[in-house]
Amino acid sequence: MALFTLKDLSFTYPQQPKQALSAVYMVVEKGEFVVLCGRSGCGKSTLLRHLKTVLTPHGKHQGEILFDNRPLAQVDLREQSSRIGFVLQSPENQIVTDKVWHELAFGLESLGCDTATIRLRVAEMASFFGIQEWYHKDVNELSGGQKQLLNLAAVMVMQPDVLVLDEPTAQLDPIAAAEFLNQLKKINDETGTTIIIAEQRLEVVLPLADKVVVLADGKVLAQGDVSAISTRLNVTKSPMLKAFPAAARVFLAMEDQTDDACTAGSPKGEHFNREYRGDARFNCDSSIATCPITIREGRDWLMRELAATQSQPSSDQLAQPQMLSTLPPAPPSPVHAENPSDASTVVAGAKEVWFRYERKGADILRGLSLEIHQSELFCLLGGNGTGKSTTLGVLAGLLKPYRGKVWLEKQASSANTLAATDDLLQNKLAAFTSAESTAARGGLCLLPQDSQTIFTEKTIRDDLLTMFTNPKSDISLARADSIAELLEIDTLLDRHPFDVSVGEQQRAALAKVLLREPQILLLDEPTKGLDAAFKEQLAAILEKLKARGVSILMVSHDIEFCAAYADRCAMLFDGDVVSQSATRQFFVGNSFYTTAANRLSRGLVENVVTAEDIIKHLSTLNERQSKSGFPSSSNKLSGTSSVRARS
Amino acid sequence: MDASTKTRLPLKTIVAIIVIVLCIPLILGLGVLLPGEGGIYAISAIVIVLVMLPFMLAFEGRRPQARELVLITVMIALAVAGRAAFFMVPQFKPMVALVIIAGVALGAESGFVTGSLSAFISNFIFGQGPWTPWQMFALGLIGFLAGLIFSKGRLPVKRLPLCLFGGLSALLIYGLFMDTSSVLLMTNLLSGQSAVAIYLAGLPFNAVHAVATVLFLAFLAPFMIEKLERVRSKYGLLGNQ
Amino acid sequence: MRNLHPAISFSYFAFVILITVVFMHPVTLCISLISALLYAIYLNGIKSLRLTLLVLVPMMLLAAIINPLFNHLGNTVLITVGSLQITLESTLYGLSTAGMLAAVILWFSCYNKIMTSDKFTYLFGKIIPSVSLIISMTLRFIPRYLSQMKKITYAQQAIGRDLNSGHLIDRIRSGGDILSIMVTWALENGVDTADSMRSRGYGLKGRSSYSLYKLDSRDKLLAAFSLYLAIMVIVGIALRLISISYFPWITLNPFSIPALLIYLAFLLLCLFPLLLDGFEELKWRSSRSRI
Repeated sequence: MALFTLKDLSFTYPQQPKQALSAVYMVVEKGEFVVLCGRSGCGKSTLLRHLKTVLTPHGKHQGEILFDNRPLAQVDLREQSSRIGFVLQSPENQIVTDKVWHELAFGLESLGCDTATIRLRVAEMASFFGIQEWYHKDVNELSGGQKQLLNLAAVMVMQPDVLVLDEPTAQLDPIAAAEFLNQLKKINDETGTTIIIAEQRLEVVLPLADKVVVLADGKVLAQGDVSAISTRLNVTKSPMLKAFPAAARVFLAMEDQTDDACTAGSPKGEHFNREYRGDARFNCDSSIATCPITIREGRDWLMRELAATQSQPSSDQLAQPQMLSTLPPAPPSPVHAENPSDASTVVAGAKEVWFRYERKGADILRGLSLEIHQSELFCLLGGNGTGKSTTLGVLAGLLKPYRGKVWLEKQASSANTLAATDDLLQNKLAAFTSAESTAARGGLCLLPQDSQTIFTEKTIRDDLLTMFTNPKSDISLARADSIAELLEIDTLLDRHPFDVSVGEQQRAALAKVLLREPQILLLDEPTKGLDAAFKEQLAAILEKLKARGVSILMVSHDIEFCAAYADRCAMLFDGDVVSQSATRQFFVGNSFYTTAANRLSRGLVENVVTAEDIIKHLSTLNERQSKSGFPSSSNKLSGTSSVRARS
Repeated sequence: MDASTKTRLPLKTIVAIIVIVLCIPLILGLGVLLPGEGGIYAISAIVIVLVMLPFMLAFEGRRPQARELVLITVMIALAVAGRAAFFMVPQFKPMVALVIIAGVALGAESGFVTGSLSAFISNFIFGQGPWTPWQMFALGLIGFLAGLIFSKGRLPVKRLPLCLFGGLSALLIYGLFMDTSSVLLMTNLLSGQSAVAIYLAGLPFNAVHAVATVLFLAFLAPFMIEKLERVRSKYGLLGNQ
Repeated sequence: MRNLHPAISFSYFAFVILITVVFMHPVTLCISLISALLYAIYLNGIKSLRLTLLVLVPMMLLAAIINPLFNHLGNTVLITVGSLQITLESTLYGLSTAGMLAAVILWFSCYNKIMTSDKFTYLFGKIIPSVSLIISMTLRFIPRYLSQMKKITYAQQAIGRDLNSGHLIDRIRSGGDILSIMVTWALENGVDTADSMRSRGYGLKGRSSYSLYKLDSRDKLLAAFSLYLAIMVIVGIALRLISISYFPWITLNPFSIPALLIYLAFLLLCLFPLLLDGFEELKWRSSRSRI
């Protein structure tokens, strides 16, 4: 039974030439768990908001939306309010009242339920979600994760048939996010509530999904079960794949290779194979092994794969595979190139710093020591409440440690072209007083976590210009333009900072900070709420900055990002750095707090940090094997390398 | 001023308002008949509450929608947060300024609600007291008048008239009301001379308040009204003006 | 008192404060003042009483001075300063007013502790639903705004705009920036809140109002008892069994058994919260000790 049927839904925002949604066809069955994925700005939110009349944006609509076999517009608002539950992205903004119990009752009050009914339903929900303990609390006392759970519970009390969620975990840390998604799973399993969720954390949410819908540019790119979708996306080499779980990425890359290898080496001839391939791919079905999604599935698959390479008859003694395959100590990829000369140049640091917010409060930093090197990306990882943001505040001179010192090297603040021409900046530089040095503030800048805290003006351009003493001058304008170009926001300069997406806000904020020409850049959770593509853009930007000699320290929850792009990583725990080393060493050394690829291959392949490492390893094995195994090896090799070049 | 006020009030509300208005002289009469001295304060406070009720009921009667409610709430929360942020500086408060801006941007009726609730809610933090009804009425009246004077284009929404209105209302409406409440509370009698004494004593405080209001308005009004306009147009709030 | 039904506590405070303000009889004023003082100490502790006194004492002094100074009713002249005649009656009246002020302020400090915002919104949620929702929402927003204000200040410092440095003009300008960011942020994010409300059916006809409060048998019993006392006091005042008039000369009701009974009723009424809380505490302690 279909709950929602969208037929040829198209939508255009007022005064926009382009369609935000075009000819979307989608069916959601009752009880299904549907994951909607796609880049930010691909129309996910717009699509979801069409599923409830009061939230539907104004604009030009075409097509049909059926809810329970009736046009949605004919379902009255009362019925929609209770049957279609909606959870939005921000945990904070959605909460309406000041008490947890009142928030839970809010929806039922709107429906006009009597006190006895509300009491019962609220009690049920509070028990289901385990929120009895905070039932009487003020909403403001809750953590972000608790707030989002409250939002979910406040919708669930209305006993909806379907829950629509628009990136509900974007603002949560990984642990709270996983907990939230598991609650969704529980709701889906135990009550049969249909779930439609737009989500970036595919690693966690894909294993739960019955159906995945991939959206790109307002069009449905693919829909089907997870395995089918990943294969389908692989064929089209969709950039969406980057967001997929490591296991799936490795699997698909290898599928590609073996596939190509088979083709090339097949005795049956190319023509036949091409047809066969095409068939298998576009049906997205059984002829290809199921794509692994979770770490466990991935490990099973990897074990089989490694075993297969071992059991192959091999005449080549040199390529004798071992049970425990080991990658050669990483040939540094261009991304984590470590310039040995840089390693010695320390530009800033903290030594045995102790800090607490209140006189009698607990110590947040407990003897923290760290160093930032010239032109590196240094990532500080750690869970909630370990003192990550506090560390940044102390390094930036915003918080004064009561013991220990924080210092900046003089050369870090060496005058640059902007600072030299800018009197105000010079004043600001002089105003900075760190524990010891008179180093300049302009040498070090902190980008706060919430970009919305720094925009003051009506357009992004005006906002950037406020960073100059003389905003009207040509130099200022040119500088603002060039920085906008660097951060790829040049097309957004005339927009209001609150009208652009989270990723764009992030970059505009970064642009504003960069106008200070910092030699040291501190970033607080810069990847929060960004999709995979934006993260890659951010990484490229950080790379450009490094090339200009900027040293970057970022604190983050985002293990995968740090693993892929950092030069050095450190883990913060209990107010101090507990481990600190070059990125590869760092992640190989950890066993839980490490990347998915590392966990996937632990004990099977050593020295792995990213999915690409596994792919490389497997293809090397295949190569060796084919070299020794098949006579037509040259033919096959060329096939493999071409695939690698592609990926 | 816009679509929302055109919706007619339900009969129930109208009847309630008429009854309340009729009650006012009744209470005043009762005050005269009351035995012994005292009681003036209580009577005046009750009358003030009765005067405020029709405004509130009219607001309720037209069942304000979610976005309007949120907008009013945001303005009240800003006013109260402003009062809290400046709690160290006596009399230097942005409340009146924010209430005026709310009145100008959201209309007279919402202005009244914003004003009176700002006073009431801030007293949840700073303590309710015998002054609460007076404070509520004074701020409500300021918001109401601001809406009345500025929203139909009677006066241009420019910095100078706004500041003038702000200064005067802080001095004459808010100051006078609060001082009157002090006089009534402290003497519990109708006494002209004491009133003059307290007004004079209150003048410096009221002057500081008026200056603060003018400054806040001069600084805040243009960009806040622009921002409210932006939000209204972006989200189609409150119909069109 | 805390877990009494809000309607009862609200009416209780309203009545006691009203009697205190309206009826400036020395005996009832003393009863009211002492009970309020005791209960305020019980609820808020001595420390916060000091803060209350900081506001209260100047007001009391002003009341005690201003009345004799500007009020020349009364026949018994004490001193004549120039053209000013200070009378005994107005002096005593001033003292009574000071006592009345003290009692009212103290009762309000108890009221603030007992009648929390959610009790108020519950009480008026049915009569003025939108207003009480606004109150609840505002109380949700305020702590959020205060913390956001801190975040913004911090963020502005982080990008090099400091509230605590630079010229006064600079500082005012950055203060203004912080406010403007705050306002933009508040308005833009409010739209989400409105969406969340509408998505959960706000605006449908026939909204009900839920609360945690139930009128139980204990509430009814206590309400009946205090209502009985209150009626006694009202009847006593209406029948002039107790009365006071300050001007032109002070006339007090003569002492009588009925008057004494009414004093007692008022005393019991004023001490009612303290007795109630004390009794419950004792009961709780004894039930604990038995375990």
